[in-house]
Amino acid sequence: MTVATDLTTHVVGFCRALRARGLTAGPREAADGLRALAAINVGSRRECYLALRTVLTSRHEDLPVFDEVFDAYWNPPTANNEGEESAPPQLAGLSGDGQLKTPTLLEWLDEALQPQGEEALPAYSAVEILTQKDFSTFSADELDEVSRLVVAIAKRVATRLSRRARTTAHGHQMDLRRTIRHSLRRGGEIVDLFYRRRRIRKTRVVLLADVSGSMDLYSRFLIQFIFALQHTLGQVETMVFSTSLTRVTDALSEADLREALEHVAKEVPDWSGGTKIGHSLQTFLRRHGGTLLTPRTVVLIISDGWDTGDIDVLTDAMKEIRSRAGRVIWLNPLLGSPGYEPICQGMRAALPYVDVFASAHNLESLRHLERHLARSIRK
Amino acid sequence: MHPEIARIQSMLDEQGYVADEALATSVYLAIQLRKPLLIEGAAGVGKTEVAKVMARAMKTDLIRLQCYEGLDATTSLYEWNYQRQLLHIRLLEQSDKSLEVKEREIFSEPFLLKRPLLAAITHHRAPVLLLDEVDRGDDEWESFLLEVLSDWQVSIPEIGTIKAQHIPYVVLTSNRTRELGDALRRRCLYLWIDYPTFDKELAIVRRKVPGVNGQLAEQIAAFMQFVRRTKLEKTPGLAETLDWSAALIALHRDHLDRDAVEQTLGVLFKQRDDADLMRTQWLDHLLRGVQEVGQEPPPRNQQTIDRVADRVLPKR
Repeated sequence: MTVATDLTTHVVGFCRALRARGLTAGPREAADGLRALAAINVGSRRECYLALRTVLTSRHEDLPVFDEVFDAYWNPPTANNEGEESAPPQLAGLSGDGQLKTPTLLEWLDEALQPQGEEALPAYSAVEILTQKDFSTFSADELDEVSRLVVAIAKRVATRLSRRARTTAHGHQMDLRRTIRHSLRRGGEIVDLFYRRRRIRKTRVVLLADVSGSMDLYSRFLIQFIFALQHTLGQVETMVFSTSLTRVTDALSEADLREALEHVAKEVPDWSGGTKIGHSLQTFLRRHGGTLLTPRTVVLIISDGWDTGDIDVLTDAMKEIRSRAGRVIWLNPLLGSPGYEPICQGMRAALPYVDVFASAHNLESLRHLERHLARSIRK
Repeated sequence: MHPEIARIQSMLDEQGYVADEALATSVYLAIQLRKPLLIEGAAGVGKTEVAKVMARAMKTDLIRLQCYEGLDATTSLYEWNYQRQLLHIRLLEQSDKSLEVKEREIFSEPFLLKRPLLAAITHHRAPVLLLDEVDRGDDEWESFLLEVLSDWQVSIPEIGTIKAQHIPYVVLTSNRTRELGDALRRRCLYLWIDYPTFDKELAIVRRKVPGVNGQLAEQIAAFMQFVRRTKLEKTPGLAETLDWSAALIALHRDHLDRDAVEQTLGVLFKQRDDADLMRTQWLDHLLRGVQEVGQEPPPRNQQTIDRVADRVLPKR
């Protein structure tokens, strides 16, 4: 192998190793990496390191990962001839042989993907009863019915939300370019004024749903509800968490959703174990916080607040989310049960950073979400 | 070191910027690969300065666009000079030119107000284009910027497409108040500027503060290192170090003591809470640290600081 092709192989392999650790080092970056190496003195390890680092990283959080992979890759402990096989050791953990499944969520997503026709709502009185009932008290065969109702309610809420957006959009801006051009026809006299309509800014929603144990059912309906609203809202991002966090947005919109979720179930080591809310929120901040959290984002968390992890981590994460998002809404289904007090440690730690603390235990409470979703800005 | 990187480092050095190898390498590659350079880091670590110095070192012009929320295409690219157009229409009132001719006349280049992006594209030689604090712009503007950065051409309906004569060297800075999108990030080379190390900060103070003596410079640098290990609302950066040094010199201080620091606290800490916290909780520890650093045997460097900090600063 010539030196050049050898270098190419190594840079491509190195990029692959970085990609496996979550960096955006695709073919284009690899090509830039090679161009960069061609422009410097490749004899110097430090120079190569600095050049590849500036080309292949794109955010501060990438730096420690880059260092780690760089050391592992360009300094393999074993013989050199193993080439790109000497990927960082941490990658092995992903495969996971335990058949961890999330039956309820998986099945539901399966159903959610079925085309939903224009199904009529059942008779009003029946709806009324259903809307008051706690999700957990439904029998298995009622769940389908509830699922349809959730979508129906979401549609109503969607119409109302968009109507509201239209009527509040009277912020007009003068279109000087058109006004002046038109005035030419009148010998420079400005007679007609032209306006530009201000674009309506839609709310962006990030949904963080606790899918551990007892929360699974509530989360499932909320995810479905928000998903049905997504055309009204600007952008909906959905993540599920138990002991760790997984982004399911794409899975929700792809046809091969089931497959995606099975993959997720494999990746998440302990699906039905305890909940590490703080840890999961930290992961969210680190991986997605940057791109998703803006002053126009509503962060919607659904969880009972039972955190088996470190409470300080939860506090820090909530503090940061609160400071970077427009609004933080925490939905706790337990709030629907009479006499509930948020006394568990996790809930108490999170509450000071929550703008809206509400329930999401029945259809009625989902309906109430409307007014919270309409505003993204903290008043 | 590659001779070009060394040259850039010394060029930056000549312009009064103490640049480390990482910074010089990034600047060099940004020029070589013709890719925008995204610089992130806390406020006041000298991000903006890089672009300024780069322009001076390459003897080209700097075109700066300060980003802010609400910045849009009109304010960053071009706008028609409406007042001038109106005047011109008045002048044309008596002429018998046709409407089309009149229209073409007032929507032509002399009536175009070039905003920074268009100015950079049409500049007679490749300038350095500084997009300062891009994180303050909103994401709509960011997508617009991305378009300009990838095509290097702008189409103005009335005139046509204007293609860049020379592709500018682009430097973007961000304080991370809002995270930038992945698409923009991927387009750029990335450089993170951390708070300076003790050695670097000392070199900068010595160089940039006229009239500072060796002892005071070292005390200032040590003090700043310790300050950044405390938990504050707003950690002071290099810019604050320099302002503070200048303030101390103006007050004819030749060494740090409680009195000197208290008198100048406002220069370092812009938040009232920080200043209070400093005065009531931290100052004694920090000053003891500074004193102990002075008693350590030379050469005093970052390791000295780490050692003393471990010993003197309260554990959190």
